[in-house]
Amino acid sequence: MSKETKQTVQTTGHAWDGDLQEFNNPLPTWWLWGFYATVVFAIIYWVLYPTFPIGRSYSKGLFNNVTYTTSDGRTVTTHWNTRALLMQDLEHAREMQKPYLDKIKKASFAEIAKDQDMRAFAYSKAKVLFADNCAACHQAGGAGVIGLYPNLADDSWLWGGSHEQIETTIREGRHGNMPSFKGRFSDAQVADLASYVLSLSKQQGVNPASALRGKTLFEGQAGCFACHTKAGTGNIALGSANLTDQIWTIANVPAQHTIEGKQAAIEHVILHGVSRRMPTWKGRLSDTEIKMLAFYIHGLSGGE
Amino acid sequence: MANTFAQATEQYNYDIVRKFTVMTVIWGVIGMGVGVYIASELAWPFLNFDIPQITFGRLRPVHTTLVIFGFGGSALFATSYYIVQRTCQTRLFNDTMANFTFWGWQVAIALSAISYMAGYTQAREYAEMVWPIDILIAVVWVTYLMVFVMTLLRRSQPHIYVANWFFVAFILATALLHIFNNMAVPVSLFSLESYSLHAGVQDAMTQWWYGHNAVGFFLTAAFLGMMYYFVPKQAGRPVYSYRLSIIHFWALIFLYMWVGAHHLHWTALPDWTSSLAATFSILLLLPSWGGMINGIMTLSGAWERLRTDPVIRFMIVSLSFYGMATFEGPLMSLKSINALSHYTDWTIGHVHSGTLGWVSMITFGSLYHMVPRLYETKMYSQRLMFTHFWLATIGIVLYITSMWVAGIGQGLMLRAFDEYGNLAYTFVETVSFLHTPYVWRAIGGGFFLSGMALMAYNVFMTIYQAKRGQSVMDAKIAAKMAQA
Repeated sequence: MSKETKQTVQTTGHAWDGDLQEFNNPLPTWWLWGFYATVVFAIIYWVLYPTFPIGRSYSKGLFNNVTYTTSDGRTVTTHWNTRALLMQDLEHAREMQKPYLDKIKKASFAEIAKDQDMRAFAYSKAKVLFADNCAACHQAGGAGVIGLYPNLADDSWLWGGSHEQIETTIREGRHGNMPSFKGRFSDAQVADLASYVLSLSKQQGVNPASALRGKTLFEGQAGCFACHTKAGTGNIALGSANLTDQIWTIANVPAQHTIEGKQAAIEHVILHGVSRRMPTWKGRLSDTEIKMLAFYIHGLSGGE
Repeated sequence: MANTFAQATEQYNYDIVRKFTVMTVIWGVIGMGVGVYIASELAWPFLNFDIPQITFGRLRPVHTTLVIFGFGGSALFATSYYIVQRTCQTRLFNDTMANFTFWGWQVAIALSAISYMAGYTQAREYAEMVWPIDILIAVVWVTYLMVFVMTLLRRSQPHIYVANWFFVAFILATALLHIFNNMAVPVSLFSLESYSLHAGVQDAMTQWWYGHNAVGFFLTAAFLGMMYYFVPKQAGRPVYSYRLSIIHFWALIFLYMWVGAHHLHWTALPDWTSSLAATFSILLLLPSWGGMINGIMTLSGAWERLRTDPVIRFMIVSLSFYGMATFEGPLMSLKSINALSHYTDWTIGHVHSGTLGWVSMITFGSLYHMVPRLYETKMYSQRLMFTHFWLATIGIVLYITSMWVAGIGQGLMLRAFDEYGNLAYTFVETVSFLHTPYVWRAIGGGFFLSGMALMAYNVFMTIYQAKRGQSVMDAKIAAKMAQA
């Protein structure tokens, strides 16, 4: 606005607190027309979309039908509403996924592995399924936490590492259990057992005499062999650990740098036992989702 | 010290204004400090230290309550009491009642903060106070209304100045909002827990009717009242347009009441309700801008003072952010845009462009104008005011831009599909994406907080200087009297 106009505009003639006055400038034209434009916008919106309550119902808006198909195959046509838009979105995603899901549902793991489309789809889907359902315990990369959650990215499988075994694990859940041996053996005997367990995976610095005494206990009186087998290689039917492979899921042997520390880690497990439970995902995920997840987890380590 | 500021005290009740002003600064430092801390907790979660009282969930309402009601509320009490006396040329009605509003308000704020940390909350956003505190606030607020209206009735001016319309609208609407939103039945007489009187979607609706009008009347209308007095006073120019002030006042207070449901898009709230709220939000754009135009055009003609007067700088920046935030708001209220922005940090950025950019900046400007007049002196340091201005401005820009990046990025990631129709990102990927913007947000908040701390120093030195000057003067007078 130019200086000239400014001087010709009058104040309202009131004054407060000494010098506080008001000009009486007209409303800026662009402001006024801008306001009218929003009024026009609002009126058009009111006509086109549900906006006003009428009795126990409401205005539905004009020319705004939305059609979608539900997951059980019903086709619904309704006036515009945000829920219908969501249903359309879901329908769209379902349509994109359907050909792949149908194929995967019928395919064997070997067929999925051979077919590039199925493989890529299973990975795309299972990546998110894994992060949303599994990663909270088994960690983002599947490396697990020693003592708590098994590592899914190494070559050792407590319950078996074939596609089908992994699938069963996810669907049914697992309960890993080893009894506590507290009070059943003397401290020296527990130490001997620990020495023997360490010697199975060829740890450095194990006392050979103690390990030998441990071997007798392991294969006899203590009964360890019943689950871990005489060779100490474990049994996937029971989820008992392979003690010969230098991979540790409960006793954190790799974190200990002295033989005494490693010994103590093993003794702790012998004395306290193990009880770990993985929940079942049956009912929470569909069979096809579990299948894709098993395929994906198998791929984390190369599987068996 | 008996006759300190005696003259002013006789004409106006400045004592109550001074008390609220000091508390504005104190709550500002604490509230913003908590804000920076919780922003840092989000960037570096170890800062929760597993201490329940200082986890994000409990400190977040402490932050919002201290800055909105402690800092903002005290600033509004201070400036409204100052403005109503000066524009009505009369002393504030009833000193005892005014003092009760001060102590009642401060106790309510302090109790709220302590109770949240102890884990007591009503779980209603910006209304987390448990019922006994709600009752205290209601009593204080009705007293405030009475003091303000009675003072207006005693005015020795024929007309009521525009700033006072905004204050009355703010006080009335806030009473209404506070009382209806907090209607609840206590579990038992001695329990701090209560059940809301409303249920389900109506409860949500009431909460956001309150929540948005806390923004509309508390953080907008009332601060416009502040703007309508201090901007023309500081610029030494008449308000640009009386006509515009009337039109935008009535449009603003009529429209604001309808828009709360735009916080509940894409929820169980019926679509017609949220559509109506969205259109009223669009209608609200230009009435909001009316205040910005009136402020900026009032300052227009005093542009050369931007170089020399930090107060004018605070004011022009506050009006610019007010205009920007009130443009962004209606935009975000449209359902299609809301689908992207809602439940993301874009919302947090938007709120802060309003609260840091508009509310805090206009408060800083107004306090720097008012404090020297309350203590009949000059501000201790003009240079610190300029430094405060730059720290605050840089802080806001960092805050808002980092939240745009965070919010828009998060929104896009959450709804991205890959070529198979599967979700492209996992939830945890969106969380790790947020880390960098969260760090920048904490840094921006740190800038803003350090500006606030400088202001506190500057204000307290000003008061100290004034008191010392006064006691030197008193001593001189006493010496002269003794000689004679």
